[in-house]
Amino acid sequence: MEQATAPDLALEREIAGHIVTALNLDIAAEEIVPEAPLYGDQLGIDSIDILEIALVMSKQYGVQLKADSADNTAIFASLRALAAYIGEHRSK
Amino acid sequence: MSLIPLLPAADPRTPFAYRHGDVIDRDTFHAQVMALAAALPEGGRVMNLCADRYWFAVALFAAIARGMLTVLPNSAAPEHIATVAAEQPGVLVLGDQTDSPVTGLPYFRVDVAAAAPRPTLGDMPLIDFDQRVTCMYTSGSTGTPMPHYKTFGRLQLAILAGAERVWAAAGAPCSVVGTVPIRHMYGLESSVLLPILAAGRMSSQIPFFPADIAASLAEMPAPRLLVITPFHLRKLLEAEIALPEIAVILSATAPLSIELAAQARAQLGCPVLEIYGSTETGQVATRETDRDSTWHTLHGITLEQRDEEFWAVGKVYQTPQMLNDTIELFSRERFRLVDRKANMINVAGKRSSLSFLNATLTALPGVVDGVFCVPERGGDGEVERLAAFVVAPGLDRAQILAGLRQHIDTVFLPRHVVFVDSLARDGNGKVLASTLQGLIAQHIPARG
Repeated sequence: MEQATAPDLALEREIAGHIVTALNLDIAAEEIVPEAPLYGDQLGIDSIDILEIALVMSKQYGVQLKADSADNTAIFASLRALAAYIGEHRSK
Repeated sequence: MSLIPLLPAADPRTPFAYRHGDVIDRDTFHAQVMALAAALPEGGRVMNLCADRYWFAVALFAAIARGMLTVLPNSAAPEHIATVAAEQPGVLVLGDQTDSPVTGLPYFRVDVAAAAPRPTLGDMPLIDFDQRVTCMYTSGSTGTPMPHYKTFGRLQLAILAGAERVWAAAGAPCSVVGTVPIRHMYGLESSVLLPILAAGRMSSQIPFFPADIAASLAEMPAPRLLVITPFHLRKLLEAEIALPEIAVILSATAPLSIELAAQARAQLGCPVLEIYGSTETGQVATRETDRDSTWHTLHGITLEQRDEEFWAVGKVYQTPQMLNDTIELFSRERFRLVDRKANMINVAGKRSSLSFLNATLTALPGVVDGVFCVPERGGDGEVERLAAFVVAPGLDRAQILAGLRQHIDTVFLPRHVVFVDSLARDGNGKVLASTLQGLIAQHIPARG
């Protein structure tokens, strides 16, 4: 993942909105801290949710997420990491 | 005492396992099992926490060859691992990770030990029919995980009975790809033991995203069997990606809807066999859900009613096993599922009980009272996510979730944590369903 380029704040906000809608989270999109882990206690997101998010990413941006296992998903380390990956690989 | 070969007879060059483009034949599998069996330290029991299905299989059969019991925890929750370790003194953790996946227990890395130079193969070890080979843990309606032991001969009988049904649907023994946990009964039977004991081929991967599932299927020859849960199957179909030809799909752990079974048949051109079973019984019966509402037991298993309970009976069981559900028996081999026993909940195929979750919640430091609930489902086949109403002055949502995470699988963590001043309980100390419905209507947003 490109760490050198500046984060795409607009894309981050857009993806945060998709996540909140898809998972029916009881927080606002702006409350998702871009650098904070997506997994974990802040959002309570688990592997089921990750699959849900992956589906939304493929529909919205044409990106098929892949991983060797559900556990080593660096892409889901944070909203920023996810947005960077989507920004790099999106086909729509 | 009857003795059974550790592994079935097979042409040594027959392809057996597929791992990211590598093909491992039956002879190599046998050799690596024996190499690991020779390398394992002394001891009576091991906890197999391998992440790769192939190494999990090598470690399982090496332990069987050595007469060791393999302990399979049902989740990675730290408290569950600690409970299991306390019940299984001297347990050695086996894994294929650089560092042990758990702390505080001795660790032995199997992939390095088994990858040692191939030994000269002697005769196939013979295993006692009654040798205890695995200890599984049920979720248990009381919430306390209960150990449940399986013996080698009975496991093998059950696998062969299942293979008869599944291979017939596919037309031949299959290449098996499974998305399900290998330490639970369904994944152990259908994605690990079925290919090993019934002349199939296994994938080393446990794919997660739809594109991963497609890749794992594509690296193996037809006919292919996909072992999956209804939740994962729905997401795979929704992804609408190109998949290699699949001969048959197995579904278990949660009810499969007729619509989903029919959609899979239409989209993928193959039948979905739904399996009825449990940790205690293993696989009991199957049906093609979109064509037949009646369940048909596997060869050698029959069902009986005694008093109010239903029991599975057969040579595959040391003693008859009680079913966790209410059924209507048409014959000893055919039945209809009437109802799951109350109190059990199912989130994306994982089971727990509300009484266990409630007890865990109210036992957290700082929690005065609390209750879990299942808000009304949003739409067809959506996963039920839990909510909790909590009386806990001084605690916040993150503290509640962090406390629960120590004790329960993450899928059961409440999506909505609603703090209330008090919970109305009736004379028996129960929160009435009507009270809960009122709280849900007031506090939980309906799903968009």
